[in-house]
Amino acid sequence: MHPLSIVFLIIGVPAAVLLLYVFVRGSGGLRRYVITRIGLTIPMIFILASLVFLVLRIIPGDPVTSSLGPKGSPELKARLRAELGLEDPLIVQYGRFLGDVVTLDFGRSLVGGQRRIVDEMGERFPATLELVIPGTILALGIGLLFGTYAAAHRRRAPDYALRMYGVVIYSMPIFWLGLLFQLVFAVKLGWFPVAGRIDAVIGTTVERTTNMLLVDTLISGNWAAFRSVLRHLVLPAVTLGLILSGVFLRLTRINVIETLQQDYVTAARARGIRERVVVYRHALKNAMIPVITLIGLQVAILLAGAVLTETVFAWPGMGRYLVERISVRDYTAVQSVITMFALFVALISLFVDILYSLLDPRVRY
Amino acid sequence: MRRRSTWSALLAVLALVAAACGGGEPAAEGTSSTTAAPDTTTTTAAPTTTPAPEAGPKTIIIGTTDTIAELDSADAYSVRDWELIRNTGEALLKFAPGTTDLVPGIAESYEVSEDGKTYTFKLRPDVKFGDGLPLTAELYVRHINRMLTLEGSGGVGGALGTPFIESVEAPDSSTVVFTLKDAFGFFPQVVTGAPYMPTHPDIFPEDALNEFPDPPIYGVGPWIITDYVLGEQTVLEPNPYYHGEKPKVDRIIIRDFADAQTMALAIQNGEIDVAWRTIAQPDLLDQLESVDGLNVATVPGGSIRYLIINHTLSPTDDANVRKALAYAIDRDDIVDRVSGGTWEPLYSMVPPGFLGASEAFDDVYGSPDLDAARAALEAAGFSESNKLQLTLNYPPEHYGGTVADTMQVLKEQFEATGMIEVSLNAQEWSTYVGAVIGGADFAVSLLGWFFDYPDPSNYLEPFVLNGGLGTNVTDPDTGEPIDDLSAQLVDLLKRAGTTSDQEARAELYQQAQEVYADLVVTIPMWFEAEHVVYWDYISGDVTAGSPESLNIGPAFDFNYALLNTSK
Repeated sequence: MHPLSIVFLIIGVPAAVLLLYVFVRGSGGLRRYVITRIGLTIPMIFILASLVFLVLRIIPGDPVTSSLGPKGSPELKARLRAELGLEDPLIVQYGRFLGDVVTLDFGRSLVGGQRRIVDEMGERFPATLELVIPGTILALGIGLLFGTYAAAHRRRAPDYALRMYGVVIYSMPIFWLGLLFQLVFAVKLGWFPVAGRIDAVIGTTVERTTNMLLVDTLISGNWAAFRSVLRHLVLPAVTLGLILSGVFLRLTRINVIETLQQDYVTAARARGIRERVVVYRHALKNAMIPVITLIGLQVAILLAGAVLTETVFAWPGMGRYLVERISVRDYTAVQSVITMFALFVALISLFVDILYSLLDPRVRY
Repeated sequence: MRRRSTWSALLAVLALVAAACGGGEPAAEGTSSTTAAPDTTTTTAAPTTTPAPEAGPKTIIIGTTDTIAELDSADAYSVRDWELIRNTGEALLKFAPGTTDLVPGIAESYEVSEDGKTYTFKLRPDVKFGDGLPLTAELYVRHINRMLTLEGSGGVGGALGTPFIESVEAPDSSTVVFTLKDAFGFFPQVVTGAPYMPTHPDIFPEDALNEFPDPPIYGVGPWIITDYVLGEQTVLEPNPYYHGEKPKVDRIIIRDFADAQTMALAIQNGEIDVAWRTIAQPDLLDQLESVDGLNVATVPGGSIRYLIINHTLSPTDDANVRKALAYAIDRDDIVDRVSGGTWEPLYSMVPPGFLGASEAFDDVYGSPDLDAARAALEAAGFSESNKLQLTLNYPPEHYGGTVADTMQVLKEQFEATGMIEVSLNAQEWSTYVGAVIGGADFAVSLLGWFFDYPDPSNYLEPFVLNGGLGTNVTDPDTGEPIDDLSAQLVDLLKRAGTTSDQEARAELYQQAQEVYADLVVTIPMWFEAEHVVYWDYISGDVTAGSPESLNIGPAFDFNYALLNTSK
């Protein structure tokens, strides 16, 4: 099975289960809401893909000259431009691109050996997922725990310190933080490796099925490789997760503070329930609803952060691929990656919105 | 109950992370650990891994920032691709390690006809591919015809095959006969290249390119690519059928990096044993040099930087203006201020170490001579009140982060004449390079060059013949020289190119470089040496050339088979 199909399954199966649940058990209003939401997602992706297509053609440069440089003969350049369809009218190129998007084929790269984009993304996207998922979990974990703690200690030292942390960490350049971690935890302390997804030698023993190495090594029971993957994951995932934790922390804090002022919280306290239970079980649960919504929005920022994190940690994911291909004006690769990112963000947002509507019965359709 | 399960899950996760973080990584089964840094460093921590107790395959890990574009030698045309193809293949002739001296490869001998147009190579009888298939002349000819006829994105056949070869034949199973379109004295250098390394018929079909074959990928060279993941790593293991000296280690792994900074940290941390192409930043090299146990060796550069001077556009259509620019440049100043001394000043397009290399621009123009520059400008009609308006064009991102600084220094140097006013024009690479070599837009522009084959012809002819990549010293359409001096230069280059006698060629190329400097076809400025960084326990072949740079010499032939590790 193509690794990209596996990625789609990982995302698609929970989404399908959720949709099934909505259509079987949900109210008419909820069903209408979900249908409208899906209906809005399609033109959104279409508009974004079209914009990317257009912007790439407006900015200077072309892939053939960029990759051949001064050595390519005019004949070779002309042949390649014709073969790659770059001489076709813009509208024809656009039509071809839309066809590729609809069929999720994405065409071929314009540079190097002109590989199929789906094959390239099949190698890269799982690596990005492997980085983004732990990054999100970490960001959420830190954000929820410390945000709640700050709210519970409002206007006291921990609150000020954590609020400060939220601002500082969010405004920190991700490549700088990554480099700092590499210097301290890899070079100085020797706790973690500097770069890559797995030790080079151990990497030769891994059978790649999904291209998510944690999954592949787990399935095959290759524990040495699993440990190696985990060690390589720590610094990039922590870098990415910490940067985003600031937003979650501040949002959680403000929501918990608001919730703590609700009557039912006062009632709970009046009944003598312990403060920790009030805060972490009652207030946090209700404060989480807007945080869940924010996850959908933060996925886009996570992917953007992954671009820099992957470059700093030599992580062979979609972000590094995007940077490489932008520099050589590989139109098909760039527009495919961005479309894929858009699709991913849209699916996650859709998933989160549906989840939100299920979690919060106050939402009206 | 629920709380207990939550805590259990949390503990399980923590245990996993602790297991991952603690103790380091054991080597994979049957392998030796190659990730541990030697304990001799002063700035790095103790090794992050523990060596395997049992000796496994000897492995060397090489880091690179170059990327694989394709692996079919009939089309591949990039430094990284060629390096892999050169290690999995072998050409008719090759360079003695660490030098540019030609020695037999898969051909045991060759003859050149009197008119210099026919080369007859006799193949060794013991050459085999990685699966034991013997190489025959018919298979070699099949490969050359693939290279000449298959049209891919690399276009190597059109650049290094069809311009030279009229036909290729195999009169018997051990003889290959090339009939050339003209007498090319440098053809032996050309056939050393990756495009001339035979491909296996089962991996690379006759009528189609196979840019990314499934491993194992083998030619007739010392190594087999047993695995590769693009953007991550490539694994090579010895070819058991290789006819020459066997590799000294059991496995080479080449790891890909996105940038030099990360690669530098990785070698410092002992994650790789060798860092090769490209670490060029002076601060990074200084940082690595300060680490005990790490060696930073310089490989004399094949990569040159120069100003393309357009001879048909104003103001550089005036010979006095061109000469004034040549007089005003202070290469030492550029090298010191911009590169911190890691570059070398270049006084001819042919870098030092190559056949017939001279320092013609230093001989003719000094470095610099501002009085002479002012005199030339006056002769061209310029003065301090009527300054020459000059635009310097450059691609800000293509040649690394120092280009803008270089152009700023160059601007200062030209303006130091008091008679030139410089404006800088940065352009995106693909737009820029098209405009430069198109020869109709820019008068003075920065470009770089890396040879296709290590011979002076490849450093001079491209800038003179057929429009000269935007110099226009010959007509881009007809190829005719634009004046007598250009005609003289073209004649010298053609005579040097068609002569087989190497001494005569060297003499002719020296004369050509003098005329080239007089004409100021381009202005050579500096060459960027490459650097190879490696740990003390890594060594090359001390009996061969350039052992201090792991036998990577001016031909830029990194022969992995010569590498050894004492770890």
